[in-house]
Order: sequence, then C-alpha cells, then structure tokens
Amino acid sequence: MKIDHSLPLEYSTKQNGLNIFGFWVFLAAEIMLFATLFTSYFTLEHRVGGGPSGTEIFEITPVLMETLILLTSSFTIGLGVHAMRIGNKKAMTAFFVITLLLGLGFLGLEIDEFITYIHEGATLQTSAFTAILMLTLGTHGAHVTFGLFWGSAILMQLKKRGLTKETANKSFIFSLYWHFLDVVWIFIFSFIYLKGMM
Amino acid sequence: MEFLERFAVPNPSLAIYASMVAIGLTLIAIIAGLTYFKKWGYLWREWLTTVDHKRIGIMYLISALIMLFRGGVDAIMMRAQLAVPDNKLLDAQHYNEIFTTHGVIMLIFMAMPFIFAFMNFLVPLQIGARDVAFPRLNALSFWLFFFGAMLFNISFVVGGSPDAGWTSYFPLAGNEFSPSVGTNYYMIAIQISGLGSLMTGINMITTILKMRAPGMTLMKMPMFTWATLVTNLIIVTVFPVLTVALVMGTMDRLFGTNFFSSTNGGMDMLWANLFWVWGHPEVYILILPAFGLYSEIISTFAGRNLYGYKSMVASMVIISGLSCVVWAHHFFTMGQGALANSFFSITTMMISVPTGVKIFNWLFTMWRGKIRFTVPMLYSIGFIPLFVLGGVTGVMLAMSAADYQYHNTMFLVAHFHNTIIPGVVFAMLAGLTFYWPKMFGFMLNERIGKWTFWLLTVGFCLAFLPMYVTGLDGQARRMYTYSAAAGFSTLNMVSFVGAMIMAVGFVLIVYNVYHSVRYAPRNIGADPWDARSLEWATHTPVPEYNFAVQPHVASSQAFWDAKKNGHVLFPGKVEKIHMPNNSGVPFIMSAIFFVWGFSMIFSLWIPAIISTIAIFACMAHRSFEKDHGRYISVAEIEETETKLRGAN
Amino acid sequence: MSELFPRKQIMGFVFSLVLTAAALAVYFLDLTFAQGITVLLITAFVQALLQLVVFMHAGETEDKWIIYGKVYFMIGIALVTIFGTLLIFLWDM
Repeated sequence: MKIDHSLPLEYSTKQNGLNIFGFWVFLAAEIMLFATLFTSYFTLEHRVGGGPSGTEIFEITPVLMETLILLTSSFTIGLGVHAMRIGNKKAMTAFFVITLLLGLGFLGLEIDEFITYIHEGATLQTSAFTAILMLTLGTHGAHVTFGLFWGSAILMQLKKRGLTKETANKSFIFSLYWHFLDVVWIFIFSFIYLKGMM
Repeated sequence: MEFLERFAVPNPSLAIYASMVAIGLTLIAIIAGLTYFKKWGYLWREWLTTVDHKRIGIMYLISALIMLFRGGVDAIMMRAQLAVPDNKLLDAQHYNEIFTTHGVIMLIFMAMPFIFAFMNFLVPLQIGARDVAFPRLNALSFWLFFFGAMLFNISFVVGGSPDAGWTSYFPLAGNEFSPSVGTNYYMIAIQISGLGSLMTGINMITTILKMRAPGMTLMKMPMFTWATLVTNLIIVTVFPVLTVALVMGTMDRLFGTNFFSSTNGGMDMLWANLFWVWGHPEVYILILPAFGLYSEIISTFAGRNLYGYKSMVASMVIISGLSCVVWAHHFFTMGQGALANSFFSITTMMISVPTGVKIFNWLFTMWRGKIRFTVPMLYSIGFIPLFVLGGVTGVMLAMSAADYQYHNTMFLVAHFHNTIIPGVVFAMLAGLTFYWPKMFGFMLNERIGKWTFWLLTVGFCLAFLPMYVTGLDGQARRMYTYSAAAGFSTLNMVSFVGAMIMAVGFVLIVYNVYHSVRYAPRNIGADPWDARSLEWATHTPVPEYNFAVQPHVASSQAFWDAKKNGHVLFPGKVEKIHMPNNSGVPFIMSAIFFVWGFSMIFSLWIPAIISTIAIFACMAHRSFEKDHGRYISVAEIEETETKLRGAN
Repeated sequence: MSELFPRKQIMGFVFSLVLTAAALAVYFLDLTFAQGITVLLITAFVQALLQLVVFMHAGETEDKWIIYGKVYFMIGIALVTIFGTLLIFLWDM
C-alpha cells in the first residue's frame, strides 16, 4: 500500500482517499434526502386537519438551546480534527468525547420536545403536518443517534489501536458526517421553526 | 391458527397454488442438488462471499434474466386476457396484481440489475482498475437487491401480491382500498433494493472519478463508462427521494399517519409528485447505460471511431440535468394550473434535442463505415428507427393540452414500451451477446441470435404498435376487459399474437445459451469481435486482478490504437497486486434485511426489532474488523498469465 | 506555533453564532414575510457554506472542484424539486 507523507494522515493511503471521496458522494445523496423531506414539509405545512399548527406548538427556548448545543458540538469536533492533524491524540479524544456528550444532550432535548408535542395533542397520527414535522425531525434525530453509536465505536478503536491511518480516516469521515448534521439542523431551525414562528 | 392466517393469499386461484408447488419443488431441487453434488462450500466460497466485480456482475445478470422471464409470464397473461373481449381468463383482482408486478419486476428487478450487471462487469475493465472503489459495499449492493427481489416475489404466494399499479398511487394504495399486505411488499421490497442501488451509485461514481488508468482523462473514457458515470450521478440524486417517499407510504400503511390519506390534511397527490421526482429520472437511469452500450457496439461493428464524442458526452450530461426537471409531465391532468403544465411541457420537449443529437451521432458513425451485421449490431440498427418512433410519440405526450386525450390510455402504454423495449431491452440483449464471450469464454450462436432478433422485432411491432390506435380510440390502460362493441377486438388479438412471437424469441435466447454451452468453440481468443476499448485488452476468462500490468491510455479508443496505431498499452512490469478479501457479511446482512422486511410487512414487531439490532451489529462488526486485504505475488501472477496465454 | 492554534475554527464558530443571532431577528422583530424569508435564506445558506468550507475542508484536496461541483449540483436539483413542487401544489393549483 502506497503511503504519501505529504498529505494528512487520514488521506495517506489510496483507500483512505477513496473513502473520503465516497463519503462526500454519500453526503450529496443525503442533501437530496433532506430536500425531499423539506419539499414534503413545505407542501403539508398548513394542512393541519383538526390538529395544532406550527405556531401553536413551537417554543423558542428549547429550539434555541438545541441549536446552540449542536453548533457547539460542530465546533468541538472541528477542534478534534484540528488536534488530530497536529498529532495530539489526547486533545483529539477529549474533543470527540465532548462532541458526543453534546450530541447526547441535543438528543435528550429533542426527545423532551417530542414528548411535549404529544402531550399537546400533536401525535404522529394527528395530521399531515404533525406527521411530516415528526418525520423530518425524527430523520435528523435518527442520524444523530446513529452518529452517537458510530462515534463511540471510533473512540473505542482510537483508544485501542491509537492514531493510525485507519482510525484517522474514520475520525475525519465521522467529522464530515457530524458537520453535515449541523448544516441540516441550520435549515430545520430556519425554515421549520423560525419560519413557523414568524 | 389465527397467527398463520395472515400469511394466506387473499385471492387464491389455481395458478397461485400451482406456483406454490412449483416454488417448493424448485427449492427442494436446488437444495438437494447442491447437497448431492457437494457444492455448498463452492457456492459459499466462490459466489456468496465474493467481492469480485466480475462475479457480482454475472450474478446480477443471472438474476435479471430470471426476473425477465417472471415479468414476461405476467405480460403474456395480460395479453392473453385482453386478446378477446369479455374474457374470463383472469378476474379484475388478478389482472390488477399482474400488471402491478409486471411493472415493478420489469423496471426494478429486471432492467436495473441488467444495467448493474454491465456496469459491474465492464467499468473497472474499461478504466483499467483492479476492482471497484468499495468491493465489499458492492457485494452488499448486490445482495440487498437480490433479497429485495426475493421478498417482492414471495408476495405471490405469501400474503398476496400488490395490486395498486407499479406507481402505487394513493389513496388507492392506502389501507382503505388496499387492505391486503401486498402494498406493504411493494413499499419494503423496493426500499431494500433501492438502498442497494444507492450504494452502487456511490461506488461507481467514486470508482470512475478516482481509479482511472494513467492517461485516461475524463474525455478519453469509453462511452459506456461515461454513460455509467452520468447514470450513477442521477441514481445518487433521485434514489433518496424514493427512499423518503417509500418511508412515508410505509408509515401511512403501518403506523396510521396521514401523509397521503384523504383525511386530516393528508395529500394523496404528494405521493404522485415524489414518486415521479424519482420515477422520471429512473427511466433515464435505464436508458443512458443502454445508449452507452449502443455507442460501443456501433463503433465496433462500423469499424470507426464514435462520431461526435464530445457532443455525446455533452448530451448525456444535459439529459441528466433535464431529467430531474420534467417529472410533472406524468400527471398533467392532476389539476395544477397552466403555468406549471407549460413549464414541464417545455422542459420535456427540450430533452428530445440532446437525444436527437445522439441518434444522429450513431448514424454518422455508421456512415461510410464497413458495417458487420452481427447480432449486437442488428439490435443496434433495429433500435434506431423504433426508438425514434417511441421518442416522437413521447413529444406528442409532452404537450400538456393534448395529453388530456392520451392520458391513461393504451397510447401511453404503447409509448413507453416503444422506448423501453427497443431502447433498454434490445441494448441489454445486444450487450449480452457482445460481452458474452468476455464473461464466459465462448460466443453465442449467431444464427439463433439473428432469429431471436427478427422474432423480437416483428413481435414487438405487432404487440405494441396496435396499442397506439386502440389508445387513441379510447381503450384505457389497466382495464381487465372490454366489450366487443368497443371495437378493440381485432387489434388486441394482433397484440396477443405479437406477444406470443416475442415469447418465442425470449425462449430462443435460453435455447441459444444451452446450444452454445454445448457446441460453441472455446478457442476464441481475448478479442473475438475486433473491438476497441480496454476490456478486450485482457485475457478471456478475465483473471481476478483484471490486468497484470496497469494499462496506460492515450486515446478514447485505447485498445484499437494499441492494435492499429502502435500505442503501448502496458509499459510497466508485473508488480504484486493488492486485492480485497472475500466476506460473508454482505450476504448475511442482506439476509437479515430480508427477515426485517418480512417482519415489517406482516407487522411482526418483535422479529423486526431483533433484525434491526442484528443489522446494526453487522455494521459494528465491519467497523471493528481489521481487514487489510491480501497481495497476489508476482510469481502467482506470472503463472496465471502464462496459463492464460497458453489457453488463447 | 501559529499552526497549532485553531484560529480558523474559532472564527467559524463565532460567525455561526452571529448568523444564528441574526436569524433570530425574524422572531423578535416584526418583519413582513418577504423580509423574514430573505433574512433566513441568507443566514442559512451563508452558515451552510461556512460549515462546508471552514469545518468540512471541502476545498483541501485535488478533488476540490468535483466535490464542490457535486454539492452544488445536488443543491440545484434540491431547489428545483422544492420549488417545482411548490409551483405545482401551492402557487399554481
């Protein structure tokens, strides 16, 4: 296997480069996935049947907290990758752990938000609006949940195997994933919550 | 007993009971045969766990051929039912099930794997690579498709087939009007194989953009590789849309949500919209690789470089963009206003321009060429006039005002079969004949092949051209019968005769394979057609590492220029080659997906949850596994090379 | 030492916070729908671009143009899908 030392560790083998490139293609597909959810959301947004509308159930405080937590976690994983590139495994591990903890916090708040909606009579079955709202948020939330397991697996490998070509590659790809989830959340925040409360 | 009742077929008939017996006997025969000949180990080691793109390609091919016959039987039954007025051969329910499964199987489980077969087999060879970028992901793609297809097919005998059309429009596909589990099969089986398609898309794009042989710039790629690149770009763009639409449909059916219902704000039209956002590009996903194959075949047998290479590439890229902005032409009559209809009408008509450019390029490639009328070339020549006819009727359908007359009639059925059969099916059969020697080491019989071509062409014209007339006269599609007074009787009988002739043609293909396996000579060399691109530059059969020395490419007709103009194709010397290891995980994981799908279809929540966990366990296993592949040593390569050189 | 300090990431984070705060204007100020949606479109897309460039390092390899090309192509098709659907169902039905 050829190793190119002029590149960062995560790009250093041919397969590593392919993995990162392939993941970008996957992220491009994810753009369409969420675009479809947004398409459906905008179409069904005002079709509330007998149930509540967005303006009635959205609350700014938890949403803002979720946003800030996810933004911060995107920042900390950026720091993690930075630490990885200067070879500081300890700092990198710390930043990854912080990121995952923030992710967990985000998830907790989101679950609480869902429970609140259900108590307010906005269940999955209430109307087209509640269904698409929960599907869109749920898809993002499921991605975050998957990310938590994935990130933990990478942390375990990092601890056991050290900072190698493979673990660096996996960590970098995970960081792409996490940043992408933050980007998706920005759109959810802007065009579902803020637009709904405007 | 109550538990088992849900698996019963809701509308049984003699044919279904007969198939149950047939499926059971086939399974027993396969298992007994494998045991008797002690082939279980061979099957597992060489095929089920393989990550070799060539073997995966061949497995796609076999699945596609099997599905072709499954879908073909449906087609014959439909034509038989419509052959005479007031026919009692099938009742309305069975007719619904048959046209639904015919559509789904032909598009998703026949045409898609057929194009994936060629992509997998050819692309790494055409670009001079060892394998695809992610060989194990490739195996997973195949097995997801395979188990998706199997899941869809058992609907026939367990629980009942879907019956809401291959488009599965809501509210018809909702629980209220489709209470059986049939539509659940549709939603989940397509979802599983769709995931496989998406992974193939990612894999192929990465392979083509990152793993080309030295010297092969984008504008020196063979045309089929270009077609594959553009096709997979469309796959990655639109399959996520299908994923979401199917999830919404599944939730409506299983969890009582109101996405597409008629109550509580649900919007049935949104399904049609999302379906066609995927569905229209999907037809270009099928036709572009076909165009790629025709380009290879026409330039080979005309003995000339492809005319207008750059305009060929440009037109495919334009088609890929336009294909994503035309979807509403499938429902001009749904009720949106003139502005929306005009927009989609114009974009639709625009697509005919780049397609026309391609047609003229093929004609100019043949112009003054020394054409060899081989079987693949016959298909390609037959394709041009027939496809133009299909294209012209497509432009007629594109005019939204006129579409109110054509919509939902046999005219439409004639149109899309007229594009898909000469476009896709002919291309697949041409490609099959053309690449058969590379895949299996012997040629298919030329004389039987020509008979097949003529039978299919004549059969096609008889079967589908009359539908244009009955369609304009008002025969609606998806109606299981009509009265004699309607006056459709004669033309429908002609259609039935045509369908039977086509059936004979397809059976001849099977006979051709049998005949050629027995009698065809095996000493055909690596380049039996005197072809032009890299896949012919390696041995037949292709060694697992494809090329002993990585080729260097200087033109878009690399192999031709090496043969005729003295380009050096293999300048280096043999080095050890890195290859991926086989793995059983893709097969196991896909089999678990099958269990998951089955449990979801029948709302068996406990197995569904367990299999979900098992799927994630497979992914975790992959994450923690240390797999660095293996090396093939120089000595081994040289031994293989000597042996293969001797064989030729 | 300058390379060791994650200046780029910190700048990116600060900008994200500023843009989030700016987007909140639509909640706290009394804007018309057109004004509000303009603010949201600008803040959301700028912030997405910021993540792409600063944190995801989209432009750091030789594949820069392929990656950007792909992402922009997808965004293009995504917008066509969204606005096409809205045209069909909301603005022209």
